[in-house]
Parts: sequence; C-alpha cells; structure tokens
Amino acid sequence: MITAPRSVNMGFDRFSGLYLWALFIVVFGIWTPDLFLSADTARSVASSQAIVAMLGIALLIPLAAGCYDLSIGATINLSAILAAWLQTNQEWGIWQSIGVAIITGAVIGLVNGFIVVRLHVSSFIATLGMATVIGAVQTIVTDQSQPLPPTASLWLNLTQYKIFGGVQIVVLYLVVLALIVWWVLEHTPAGRYIHATGGNPEAARLSGVKVGQWQWLSLIGSGTIAAVAGVFYSSLSGPSLTFGASLLLPAFAAAFLGSTQLQPGRFNVWGTLIAVYVLATGVRGLQFVTGVQWLNDMFNGVALITAVAFAVWRQRSKAAGRRRGRGDGGGGPDSVPPQRDDGDAVRLTGESATVR
Amino acid sequence: MTGESSPAEAARHALVARGLSKAFGGVPALSSVDLTIASGEIHALLGENGSGKSTFIKILSGFHRPDAGEVTIAGAPVSLGSPESAYASGCRFVHQDLGLVESASVLDNLYLNAGFPSRLGTIRGRVARARARAELAIVGLEGLDLRVPVATLSPAVKTGIAVTRALLRDENVEAKLLVLDEPTATLPDNEVQQLLDIVRQVASTGVGVLYVTHRLDEVFELADTVTVLRDGHRAATEPVTALDRRRLINLLVGSEFDDIRAASAVIPSERGDTVLRVRGLEAGPLQDVDLDARPGDIIGIAGITGSGRETILGSLFGATPRQAGTVEVDGELVPSMRPSVAMARGIAYLPQDRKVHGGLMQLSARENLTLSDLSPFWKRLHLNRREEISEAEHWFERLAVRPSGGHDKTLATFSGGNQQKVLFGKWLRRNPKVFLLDEPTQGVDVGAKAELHRQLLAAAEAGSVVIVSSSDVDELAALCHRVLVLRDGQIVADLTGSDVSIVSITRECLGTSRKVVAS
Repeated sequence: MITAPRSVNMGFDRFSGLYLWALFIVVFGIWTPDLFLSADTARSVASSQAIVAMLGIALLIPLAAGCYDLSIGATINLSAILAAWLQTNQEWGIWQSIGVAIITGAVIGLVNGFIVVRLHVSSFIATLGMATVIGAVQTIVTDQSQPLPPTASLWLNLTQYKIFGGVQIVVLYLVVLALIVWWVLEHTPAGRYIHATGGNPEAARLSGVKVGQWQWLSLIGSGTIAAVAGVFYSSLSGPSLTFGASLLLPAFAAAFLGSTQLQPGRFNVWGTLIAVYVLATGVRGLQFVTGVQWLNDMFNGVALITAVAFAVWRQRSKAAGRRRGRGDGGGGPDSVPPQRDDGDAVRLTGESATVR
Repeated sequence: MTGESSPAEAARHALVARGLSKAFGGVPALSSVDLTIASGEIHALLGENGSGKSTFIKILSGFHRPDAGEVTIAGAPVSLGSPESAYASGCRFVHQDLGLVESASVLDNLYLNAGFPSRLGTIRGRVARARARAELAIVGLEGLDLRVPVATLSPAVKTGIAVTRALLRDENVEAKLLVLDEPTATLPDNEVQQLLDIVRQVASTGVGVLYVTHRLDEVFELADTVTVLRDGHRAATEPVTALDRRRLINLLVGSEFDDIRAASAVIPSERGDTVLRVRGLEAGPLQDVDLDARPGDIIGIAGITGSGRETILGSLFGATPRQAGTVEVDGELVPSMRPSVAMARGIAYLPQDRKVHGGLMQLSARENLTLSDLSPFWKRLHLNRREEISEAEHWFERLAVRPSGGHDKTLATFSGGNQQKVLFGKWLRRNPKVFLLDEPTQGVDVGAKAELHRQLLAAAEAGSVVIVSSSDVDELAALCHRVLVLRDGQIVADLTGSDVSIVSITRECLGTSRKVVAS
C-alpha cells in the first residue's frame, strides 16, 4: 500500500534534472539554433564545466560523510597557482610541480580532518577558517602577482589535447574521476561506511563504523580531488588568483541539486554531474539569448537554494504521504521525529547552527 | 450508551463518535467505530499498530476526513476534516512529541501558541503569571517556578506543561475533550505516577480524556473504560473493572502471547563454559558489578531508573565509557569505548533509542541490515548487490518484516516494530556470542514483540548469551530464566527459576525485601 502512490509519478521526482535538461536544449535549440545547437557549444560547455563538476564530486564525499568542506574553493585555487608558479617562477619540472600541488591538497584535507575529528570543531567552522588560511598562504607564495602560465606543450596538452569529436581530454578525466568516486561511494564498504557516518554518526559508531576515520578520510579525499582539479584548471585556463571562490558555490549547488536526483536524499555522483551540466546548459542558453553576464551567479545561487528547498519539500511531503498512507502507527512511537524526516540537505544545513 | 440519546443527554458526553469509517486506497483502516466518552471520564484506547487507533485520533483532530460517521463534542456536531472545527468545539491534543521549546521558560511555553495577555502590544506580565499559575494548578503543578527553562524539568512535568498549554490555548473555548497520545511512552518509570496524577486532575475538572497507550498497567490504574481496536474494528468497550490483564491481552492479539511464556520455560538454563565474564564494572551509577553468563542464558536486567539498568549494557559494549572493571568474552578483553573491537569479540548491542542510536533512518533497510558486516559481499572489488539483496530478503522473511520486499525503502518508512525487526536482523546475522539489548521492545506493538521474543529464544537456543535490560518487568518475567536486579548501582538480587516473576522482580527493584548480594 506504500508502493501504490509511488509508481504514479513516472520518475519526475528522480529524473527531474534530465527532463529540465531536455527542455533547455529544445527551447534554446529553437530560439537560437545556429548558436546553441553547434558542436562548438557542446564541446565548450563540456570542458568548461569539467572543473566545476570535479569540484562538485570532491565536495560530495565529505557531504556524504556529514561534513562540510568550504575550503575546496581555496584549495583548488592554491593548487592551480602552485602548479604554474613552481614551473614558471621556480623552474621545476611539470610532474614535480603537479605532485607538490596535489600533495598540498591532501595535506589541507589532513589538517581539516584533524581539526574536525580530533579537536571536535564543527566542519563548517573548521573549513571556513581553513579557506581563509589557504588564501593567506596563496598570497605569501604569489605576493599578489599572478604567475605566468607555463607554455610547455606537454602542460597545455595535459588537458587541452583533443580526443574523439574534438572534445578536450579534461572531459575524459572527469569521467574517470566520476567512475572512481562512484565506485568508492556506492560499491565498496568504505562508501557504505561514509554514507552511514553522514546518516547518523552515533548509530554508525554503535554499528562498529569508525566514524572519525571516515570523516577524516573524506576530507582528505575532497582536498586531494580539489587539488587535482586545480592542476587541470591551471593547464586549461591558466593560473588565476581569484577563480576558486567563484567555483565554490557552483560546486555546492551541484552537490545539493545532485542529491535530489537519481537517488533522492543521498549525495551521489551522477546526480551531481547532471546538475552541473543542466545548470551550465541553462546559463549558456540564456547568455546566448540575452547576452548578460550576471546569469551564472544568479543561476547558481537560485539553484542551490531551490535544490535544498526542493529536497526538504520532497522529504516532508513523502513523510506526510506516509502518515496518510498508513492507516495507523503514524502517531505512536513509530512516527519518525521531525528532525529525522528532513533528509540530508536540512540536516547538513542545520549543522552550521550547532558547534559540535 | 451509543444508542439514541437526546441532545441534553449528549451534552453530558465529552465525545460521541458514531460509525466512523475510513479507508486508504481501498484498504479499510477504520470500520464503523463507535466511541462515547462521558465528561470527566478517562477512556483508554488500545490497539496494536495498524488497528486504526491513530486513524481514529487523526479523524478527531481533523487531519483525516472520514468516509462515513459523525462526531459530536459536548453535544455540538463537529465538521469533520477541519482542524479548526475540532479545535473550536473543545477538542485538545497532546502528542507524544510534546512540542515544547526546551530553552524557553515555562511561562513562555504556555503562551507561545495562545499569545500572551497584552495591552497595547506589551505583555501584561502579572496577569500572564497569575493565569499561568491558576492553569498549572489544574494539573497539580501550582508550585512550579515559571521562569525556569523547560529543559531543566523532568519529563512528567514537561508533559504536565504541554497538557496545561493544550487546555489553556483559547479563553473563548472551553476544553471538553483531551486526547493524550502515548504520554508515557518515553517517560521513566518513576515519573509515570506523576503523569497519571496529572491526568486524573484534568478529568476531575469535567474534561473527558481519551488516553492512548501501549502500557497495560496504566490502563488498570487509570482508566474508567477501555476500548480495544483490532483491524479497524472495535473489539470491545468495557469498564475496566470487568477486565483482567489476560483478557485484555487476548482482546488485543489473541493467544500469541502465551506461547512465549511457555517456550522460555523449556530452555535449559546452564550449559557450556562462561562466555561473558565481567569483573568490578564501574560505569555511571554502577559500582563493582560482577557478571558471568553461559551460552543459552537469557538474562534480564531489572531496576528502576537511575539504578544502573540503562547504563550497564552500553558500557559493556563500549557505547558509553567505563570507569573501571574488565569485560571478557571467551577470555579476550573487550576495551572501553571501542564498539568495533567489541563486535570483533562477538558482542552485539541494540541500543535503547532506535531513532537516535539504533537505526540509520535515511538509509535503506537493506543497508541498515548489512552494515554490521559487509565482508561477505565484498568480492572482486565491489559489493555484490545480488547477494546483499538475497541476504536482506532472507532476514525480512525470517523476521516477518512488513512490507515484505521493502528492503530498498529507507528505514524511516517502516513502522516501529518493523524497524526494530530490521535492527534485530542486523545483529542476529553476525551470530553474536553475546547479544545485549536495551529496551528491545519499547514502543513496539504486541505482535512484533512476540516475534522479537521468539527470535531471542532462538538465538539463545543456538548458543548465544542474551542479556535484556528492560523497564518492562512483564517482558523480563516472560522472557528470561534469570533476572539480575539493580538497585543504586549494585546487583541486589539474582533471581532464577520460579523467582522470576513480576511480583518478586518488582519487589526487588523497589527494595522491599532484604538485600541479597549476588555471588
């Protein structure tokens, strides 16, 4: 009797992002067919959004474990700067520079984990503070002057090499990364423990899950992946001093919007990817039509709020439907307390208010 | 009583409900139920989960619109399906979740919904306080300090405040009917009496009380009349004096309950060597507790709240810290605060509060079940989904979890009894040497309770040590062949054989017999 109302909704709930994507493509395809429906547009959206998507994937690991990582924007920026600065200013080799940049990201994650797990500081506060610290480190390294982009063709080809259909190879990296993270989160015990930790840390601990360890590892994961994404960004677009902050919000929007897709109520990789590209398609289409520059920020901000609001609404209406659908037992000790009904999105946003 | 009655006669009734029926998606949840409550009467409403109890209450509150039937409150017909109409006619509700603001003062809590008495937008403090005191006196809480935050008060007093607030909300409408939905479900034993006094006080002012509960003791102590619902029908309405416990249980479920009592007597109580050895345990109120258990033992832990009953099992497993003492399973030490090590030693632990500590409500039932041990499914670098599902289905079948085949749904969507069955499965699948359970059947309907008890008996028969800590003396007496009674942090009695009875356990808990220190 619970399954009956569910089968009615034709997946609009889980696949709303895909429907929206199709709608964008049809609408803008009809509106500006020559601009919007070109292979160039498709390629440029694919590669320009690959970095945001990587950052979103980095972020969803700690989110799944119940931690925020607000430092990924600063991490991706520092990593991009380091990778270029070590090559041009310090004349290091490509691989050493990349290695140092990525290790830096891992170390940032390590420190974040220490603060959150060992010092019991709320992850919101810990990583917010860390983001500022990383910004300061970046200023120390660069002295506010943007390093020149390295010009070695190996460095440029790292991400800009054209593979099938003229798509830049960075898109392939994204697919590989997504597959790895998807495998870890959904097909290994580690992923199960991470989701359990994010779901209810105390219940997870009492099930034998080493909660602190998984939170720590998830933060190392997000720091490392953010640094990898930084290296790719540096190779793709050149080292900018300020781009990181502008990617943080889109990454959050993608991760939260993604948690309403495919596996609602759960941070998941493919949902995040869909979210990134649906948003990007909408923004690109609107830019072609209107030519204004503020769309990106507006879109991402509205999308983040809408995503979380939608997730909350969905959980609430589902809970209400359950109460209605079951003849009895809803009012007694069986009913779930309200704070548990509201799903990951709310629980996570709620965390900001409490210092653990 | 529910026959033809004149309007004048009806006005003496706080509630007259006639022929209430409600179906959900063609499945009847409530079939033509009649219920009458006189003014000042305390009427207990009993029924297993799924019996239609909640549906009935939700019709009264206006949450559901019934398919048929009518309701009058103090003679005035209620427009069904409208919360406003239910409220305006004098229907008041106190739910299990009291909805108090913990950090706010008693006074603020009382007036948050109704609005403070005010003049020109300024709160009239003295008027508000005087009225609050008068209203609190109705529930016998006249001495309460109005300035203290609600969080500092005991659960029973909080319930009293919620009742007061429900009754005072509107000056224009007098409360005629108070519906209490399982007010004692989360109340410690020693506070139940205080709450029952509060309910009596309210009834003595002429308000009809509909009292929903799972606890049979309270029914006999408090209620004037009992109505039992079963499968959406009214199974019986009788004055409480015409009932005894056995008959009431039979009305609720039939004969399931008796089988358990019979079965636990059959199990041989001692065989094999000591599996669990506890020496000098100190944790919370516990002082120097020793405990030995052999395979096949079902040991009960009894004691009033604060005796150490709630602390002992969590500290053995490592959920809560131990100050001193050793815990060994088969000679291997179990360290404090290391649940994962305790699990490796063969201990399983079901915590008391399944919503906060026991279950992961947003994960699926399958993920909850298999979380306790994922290693069987970890093959060729991935979790074998098919084997995981077949294991989940196996446990769903073995524990009769409903809805069957619902292992992919989040745990939150299951009813309390079925959630608990899933969590039982989570631990039973590890074949624990020692299975510790805190309040295993709290807030679980009688049918599921019988099933869970059967599983514990089976586990013990298969060679596990089962230790159950419960505030439900009835449960301990029915299930265990040995009951340890804690008082002030020490074991004061070790009851076995025919001594495992409600009377002797209760007597030891309350300290009305000579002190016996277990060896």
